[in-house]
Order: sequence, then structure tokens, then C-alpha cells
Amino acid sequence: MLSKIRNFSIIAHIDHGKSTLADRLLEFTQTVDKRLMREQILDTMDLERERGITIKAQAIRMQYQDHILNLIDTPGHVDFSYEVSRSLAACEGALLLVDATQGIEAQTLANAYLARQHDLVIIPVINKIDLPAAEPARIAEELKHVFGVEEKDIILASAKDGSGVPEILDAIIKRVPHPAGKKSSPLEALIFDSHYDAFRGVIAYIRVVNGEIRTGQQIHLMGGKKTFEVQEVGTLKLGLQPKDCLEVGEVGYLVANIKEVKDCRVGDTITDSKKPAAKPLPGYKPIKPMVFCGFFPLAGEEYENLKDAVAKLQLNDAALTFEPETSAALGFGLRCGFLGLLHLEIVQERLEREFGLGIIATSPNVIYRVTKTNKEVLLVDNPTKMPAAAKIGKIEEPYLKLTIFVPAEFVGSVMTITTEKRGTFINLEYLDPTRVMMSFEIPLSEVISEYHDLLKSVTRGYASMDYELIGYRESDLVKMDILLNAEPVDALSTIVHRDQAQSRGRKLVEKLKEVIPRHQFVIPVQAGIGAKVIARENIPAIKKNVLAKCYGGDVTRKRKLLEKQKEGKKRMKRVGRVDVPQEAFLAVLRLGR
Amino acid sequence: MTLEPATERRGSNEPRNRGVQPQVPSLYIHIPFCKRKCNYCDFISYAGKENFIDRYVEALCQEIKSLTPCPPSPPTGRQVPEGEGELRTVYFGGGTPTLLEPHHFDKIISSINSAFGIQNLEFSVEANPGTADQAKLKALKELGINRLSIGVQSFNDENLKTLGRIHDAATARQFYEDARAAGFTNINLDLIFALPGQTVAQWKEDLWAAVALGPEHISAYNLQIEEGTPFYKWFSEPATERRGSSSAIREETAKPCLPAGRFIRRFPSGIQLPSEDDELAMYEFTIETLWLSGYKHYEVSNFCRPGLECRHNLAYWQNRNYIGIGAAAHSHINGQRWANPSTIEDYLSTDYGLQATDAPGPDQRETIFMGLRLLDGLHHDNFRGFEKEVNELVRSGLLIKNGEKIKLTRKGLYLANEVFEQFV
Repeated sequence: MLSKIRNFSIIAHIDHGKSTLADRLLEFTQTVDKRLMREQILDTMDLERERGITIKAQAIRMQYQDHILNLIDTPGHVDFSYEVSRSLAACEGALLLVDATQGIEAQTLANAYLARQHDLVIIPVINKIDLPAAEPARIAEELKHVFGVEEKDIILASAKDGSGVPEILDAIIKRVPHPAGKKSSPLEALIFDSHYDAFRGVIAYIRVVNGEIRTGQQIHLMGGKKTFEVQEVGTLKLGLQPKDCLEVGEVGYLVANIKEVKDCRVGDTITDSKKPAAKPLPGYKPIKPMVFCGFFPLAGEEYENLKDAVAKLQLNDAALTFEPETSAALGFGLRCGFLGLLHLEIVQERLEREFGLGIIATSPNVIYRVTKTNKEVLLVDNPTKMPAAAKIGKIEEPYLKLTIFVPAEFVGSVMTITTEKRGTFINLEYLDPTRVMMSFEIPLSEVISEYHDLLKSVTRGYASMDYELIGYRESDLVKMDILLNAEPVDALSTIVHRDQAQSRGRKLVEKLKEVIPRHQFVIPVQAGIGAKVIARENIPAIKKNVLAKCYGGDVTRKRKLLEKQKEGKKRMKRVGRVDVPQEAFLAVLRLGR
Repeated sequence: MTLEPATERRGSNEPRNRGVQPQVPSLYIHIPFCKRKCNYCDFISYAGKENFIDRYVEALCQEIKSLTPCPPSPPTGRQVPEGEGELRTVYFGGGTPTLLEPHHFDKIISSINSAFGIQNLEFSVEANPGTADQAKLKALKELGINRLSIGVQSFNDENLKTLGRIHDAATARQFYEDARAAGFTNINLDLIFALPGQTVAQWKEDLWAAVALGPEHISAYNLQIEEGTPFYKWFSEPATERRGSSSAIREETAKPCLPAGRFIRRFPSGIQLPSEDDELAMYEFTIETLWLSGYKHYEVSNFCRPGLECRHNLAYWQNRNYIGIGAAAHSHINGQRWANPSTIEDYLSTDYGLQATDAPGPDQRETIFMGLRLLDGLHHDNFRGFEKEVNELVRSGLLIKNGEKIKLTRKGLYLANEVFEQFV
């Protein structure tokens, strides 16, 4: 049985055609009836389809010739690199999919290295060879140079027209080893994803590494240290297909009356409670949010709804954390923790779309490690909790190793913006005569503001980046406050490097002047460090706002205009006497442009 | 929630128009023809369709016939309320009504006469310089038209060109003299200020030139950049930059509605819209100058010799009954509204069995924001349920209580939309 199983995933950059290739594989193996075929089946969330990325990993089982092929999908964003590593750990092989018009990108490289670390067999595939701009020969050189693959192993394909798909399937069977492991050993199953179902509780996606798992079995989660009884196991097609038992090497799902995804974390090991494994599978890490921000309801009375909504999302998102936060300016809200900026944006967007909530997100920040003069160490996830400057001994902030792939002509621009963002240049390596890989060390806080947008814009979209956390480093940081109409707005406070405070402060007050509508009185906007004002602008008073004409025919239209004007104000948050639009809070993180 | 009872009190069952009793209707007739479209105009009007005029006039007469106050058959639903068979005002607007020939007017006026009678009417026609000579104006006068509203807009040839008008200042002056010679004793001049490239000094000259002619009525409108006009294309903001799909969504839902003051002040050829400060200076100057010249400021943009308010337009501001005839015309009778098809072709193929529109009738909110446009203000009974808003606005100096009336202060006049917004 084991010898007929192949577990694999697809490593690809956004838009390099992963979802389309997956569709073709499903079609070719007749896993999905062609009539039921929707575009890009793996991306089930609307958001995923729209953004063209896969947020949550999933798996699907195919039958090809006499083999079982399990495709384990991986999330396509650096925020979710831990999830990627767990998905890869459930596989023996990976398709390395590269766009014939683009070449290798940063995340592809990072994930391919990750696959190597897990001893996966890599099948290089050059996709989109049907495009006129395709340069398979150049990309093949790149693959050879960067990964040391051999020319004969590269498959040329077009997921769009289906060419190369049979070769890919054959390669999976021939080159990817079948799973190892023993049926007789104690149960060890790796959780590589999970999601919450309102009716059945958590559904865990698992790979059985040793032993077997069956209905009625008592299981123990070695990391979460909880015990459950298996209600159902099965395999994954386009839905759940129950089965009595999942054997060694198989990929499938598990239902065991688990109430929350946080009891069933990705990377955890499932074992038999009576006959446990000696030690958990390697690589499990408890999730630590890296980025924090406050969510506040636009309408104060929506707070309870916001809390319920975030709690509901959390059922399905173990990486999302929250606790109540009170802001003098914005009232009651939640301090939420995320894996990264994309994760934050997704959560915010889901709250707005799926729960219809109007929310203000405050400027995201990282966790600072503050050692006070009395040697006490604080972890500060919110600028408002920063101790007074006089009590601070030192502040440390998280640093990243940042890898950037970019055409050689943009090296100068990348160097400029990255060093402006406090990045330290480490290395530059030519992948081929036209493309380079650059690496830097840079504070995480710089990357979560507008760095990525900036990088895309100075390289006209050609750069790709990847990063990993390398630890905390001491920095000369200060808390910058914003005052509107002489009142401090705590939700606009940020932690900045002292050298940047002046210019950021000036840009921020200019931006705020732009986005805060004029009122019937002059509003001073100030940025300050402690009691010292470092920048100031005035929002002039509105002097005139009157419709000149208003007659019979157009009353209804003019009335709508007034209603719209009023609606617009309702969508703002009143801070003191000032109506502040959501964009003002966004302004803090979009300073670079 | 504390809002509930207030909302109930503001409900549509509230008797409308307290204190405004006589509901004699006003008749509006829309003439959607122009020699050319002006760059600022968003009224329904078409250039180059003059060949439709005869048929259009015929259709107008048919529509008027369908309004006969006695029980119509089949009932149109849009009839003059019983016992109110007499018209109060008739107004030909456009477009350019003076593109019609006297025999067209004759035909329409005969229809009105046989349906309602035309005694003791305020009978206005909008007239554009360059579209009628003294003889034609005289003919109109003899048909019973007793008020002309002349679209002068400016006395500065450069500015007239920017607006896309078909006439120059001399033609406008001549037209005014011809109207006087034809016997018109009640004339309005329409002016627009805050034009692209206009200075405060230029506007002062325009206004003095108008005052020097001595019209009975002056409408001085602040230029408004309306969607769908060439001006809108030239002066509206470029699409805001997008950043990812999340913010694109936010931008879409939060797209602000821009008052004129928020438009980018530039012009393709480098001409700019006046600054907000200049706009305000022009408006202030208008109010002061016309007051000193013996005109009464009775509506946001309207000034008249005492007793010569435009009674037709008052009907709109006071939420009275009015019937609109012709393409794109709107009617309001006792809380119901009707809208005619807005293209000439659709109008010509309609059978006048019009259905009332879903648009809400004028409720208390509309009574307030239309009524406050009148400088005399509104009786305080109209504000029941809005006491909190009124007190807040009085405190911030935008409204003032004067005896039984509540009205806009000068500051409130400049910020009228901020005031009205509290009542919609």
C-alpha cells in the first residue's frame, strides 16, 4: 500500500500558475467532474480568489494509474511561512513551479530551500511556456544555477493549455519516493492544517507518519497536551470522504469533537493515548503573533459585535490573538496580534465584509522589548503602554534577514530605499547576468509599514522579497504622539527611530491635514516627542459650503447629496470635537509615499 | 435607543407645510432645446434636435390637456386637487425656451388657458441673449408672458467663452434693452460667479453692470461643478491611488461627495477655479452690494426689488404643489411625486398615464432644508423633534431664533449645507 502513495506539494510564487496547475491535475486525473469544475478549486475563500493567493492550505487526493496522489497545498505568503514548513513536512516531494516569463522569485527560493531541508525531492517545472514572452532556456539556466537541478529533470509545461501535465504526473510517481513509516509503530500523525466547522467542531488535516488512526480511537495531542476521541477520519476530495481508518503514509482529515483550532495547532503531533509515541514529530512551534494593532468599532455600540466577530474568526485562525483595549480617543476596542501585515489586512477585511463591521485599525506595530532603568523587562505591544522616556534603560526591536530578488538594474534603488528604512546591506549575488539576490538585515517594524509597497514601486513590480526573524536588537527608539486640536490622540501614537522622528512627524501631520476634512474651526495638527513639538500644520476652517441652486426637479438629487455628506461624517470617528476619517489612521502606515 | 421616538415624531404622517395653506399649483414647462450645451450645465437639454420642436410642442399640449382638473378619464393620478383649479404661476424653463417661435408659445398658452385659465398669473419665460429680437419679445409679451429671466451669466466676454455661452456681453445688453422696449416690466438677470479664471474684481464689475441695468430681480449663483459636464471633466479630482484590494474597497465606499470647494483648482489651459476665500469674498460682496442697491436678499442666491420675489420658485422652496410638463419635468402634488421621461424621444412616446415615483414626498426634513434657504426662515413649529439640533446650531452661531421664526445667520448662510445636513 505504502508504495502506491505519493504526497507532494507545489512551490510557486504568486501568479506563477499554481492554482491553475492544480486544476489541470484534478481534471487530468478525473478527480473532479469537468462540469463541476470551477476556476481554481483550491482557493475556496472569496478573498483568496480575488487576491490570487492561497491563504489557508488544503489537501486533495487524486487517483492516477494505480497510485494515490495527495496534493498538499501551501499558503503563498511570507506571513505564513511556518504553515508552509508544516505542509512541506507532510510531503516527500514538491513541484517547483516557475513562470517562464518571470523566473525564480524570493519566496520560491525560500520555500524550495525549506523543501530541501525536509529532504523533499524537487521536480522543477517551467510553466506558461505557451506565452510569447516565455524564455524557458533562460529560466532553465537560472534553475540550474540556483538549485543545481539538471537540465534533463526540468519539465516544460503550460497549466493553461494542459501541456506537460502527463509528464508531471509521471514524474511524481517515478521521482517522488513513497512514504516511509511503519503501520505497527505507535501512531504519529502531523497536523498540517485545520479549520473550524460550525457543526462538527475542528476539522484537522493530517498526515499519518507512523501507525494508523481510526474511528473511536483515543488520541493525544502532544504539543497541546489534550486528549480526544476520534469521531471520524477520512480522505479529502472536493469534500470529506469518511473512511474507517487512515493508514501510515496517508493524508486525510480528522474530526474529534475539538472545539477550537487553538487546541489543535498546526505542526502538533497526534498519537495514541494508550500507546503513545516516544517523542513528538520535529518542527512544532507555538504560534507567536509578530504584528499588533488596535481594532475599534466606528460606532461605539458595535464593540460587543466586534468582539464576537473576532472570537468567531479566531475559532478558525489559531494565529489571531486579541485582548480588550481602551483608547482615550477611540473608546473600547481590541488589541489584536497577527502573523504579519497581510494576515492583519485579511482579518480586517473579513470583519468588514463578512460581519459588516465598520472598524478603525490603528497603526500596526511590533513587540518591543523594553528594559527599564530598574532592570525590569517589559514586552510592549502597544505604543500607549510605552513607559516614560526617563524610565527606559534600553529598547530592543525584532530584526529580520530580508532576501530580495530583483533585476540587476534596480540594485541601486533597492539599496537606497532599504538603507533609508534602516536596513543593513549583507550580500549581493548574481543568479544570472540580469538578476540578483540581495540580502539585508532590517527592523521588522520597517517592513510592516510601507516597505513592500515601496519596493514594488521602485522596481516597477519586479522585485520579490522574503524574510525570516533573526532576533532582537537595541535601537534608539522614541514614542511620537499626535495632537489634534491640542488633544493627544493615543491611537495615532507610534514608535519611531529617533533619527526619523522629525521627517516622519512632518510627513504625518501633512498627511493628516490632507485626509481630515475641514471643520467649522481651525484644527492644529501637531507631532511631538514628550513635551516637544516636532511638526505642526493647521487644517483651515471651512468657510463656505452651500448649494447655489435648488429647484423642484432636483430636490431629490440635492437631498441625496446632503444625505451622502452626512453619511460621510458618520463613517468618521469623533475625537474631541474633530471628525477623523479611517484614512487618517491608515495614514500612519503609508507615510512613505 | 433614544432616536426611536424622535424618528416617529418626524414620520411622514406629520401634517406638512404648517402655516402654508393655499395649495394653488404652479405649472412648469420644460423646453429641452439649446443651440449648444454650455460647459457647466447639467440640466436636461439637447443641442441639434430643433427638428423635434413642432412635435414636442404638440406633446406638451396633449400633456396639459390630460391635467384638466375635473375627474379625468382614465384617471392619471396626477391631477390638480379639486377646488384648486386656478394656477398661480407658469414658468417656461430650459434649455432655451426662446428657441421656440411665438406660434409655438401661442399653442401651448392656449392649451393652458383652456385647461386652467391664465388670469392674474406670474408668467415667466427663461430667455437667452441671441435667441430673440425685439419683435419676438413683443409677441411673447402680447401672449400674456409678464416676466423674463435672462441668462446673462457674465458681462465679461472672456468668461462667457469659458462658460461656452453663444453670446457676448454686448448681445446681452441689447437683449435686455429689447425686452424693456417690448414692454417687460419684471425682468430677472441670471449671473454666475466663481468662474474658472475669474477674479474678485471681475465679478464686482459683472455685478455692477447688472445693477446698472436696473432689473427687478437678480439671481447670482455660485458656479457648481456638476457631474457629467465638461467642467466636471476638467476640474474633478483624478482617481485616488489604489493600494491593494482592501483599501480599494475602503476608498470606494468612502468616496466623499465633493462640494465645489474640494475640486482641484486647475484648468487644462492653466486657468484655475477661484480659491474658497475668493468665492466667499464674491458672495459677501454680492450680498452687501445688492442690499445697498435696494434689493432684498430673499433666498440663498436670489435678490429682488421688494415684493417681486419669483413666486414660481417660492413654490419649490415652500414645498407647494407644482406640476411639471415636458421631458424630465418633475411634479409634486400633496406629497406624491412624478418624473417625466428625460429624453425627448421617450417623452414623445409616453402616454401621460404616469406612475408616481418611489421618491419620498417632501417630509418635514425637506420642508426644513428647502425652507431655510429662504432668508426669512421658517416657523419654529416646523422643527418639532429637532430641538436638540436647533439648539446646537444656534449655539454654534449658524441659526438664530427671531420671534416665532428660525433662520440662518450670515455664517449659517455660508455653511448652509452643514446646517441642512443636520435635518436630513
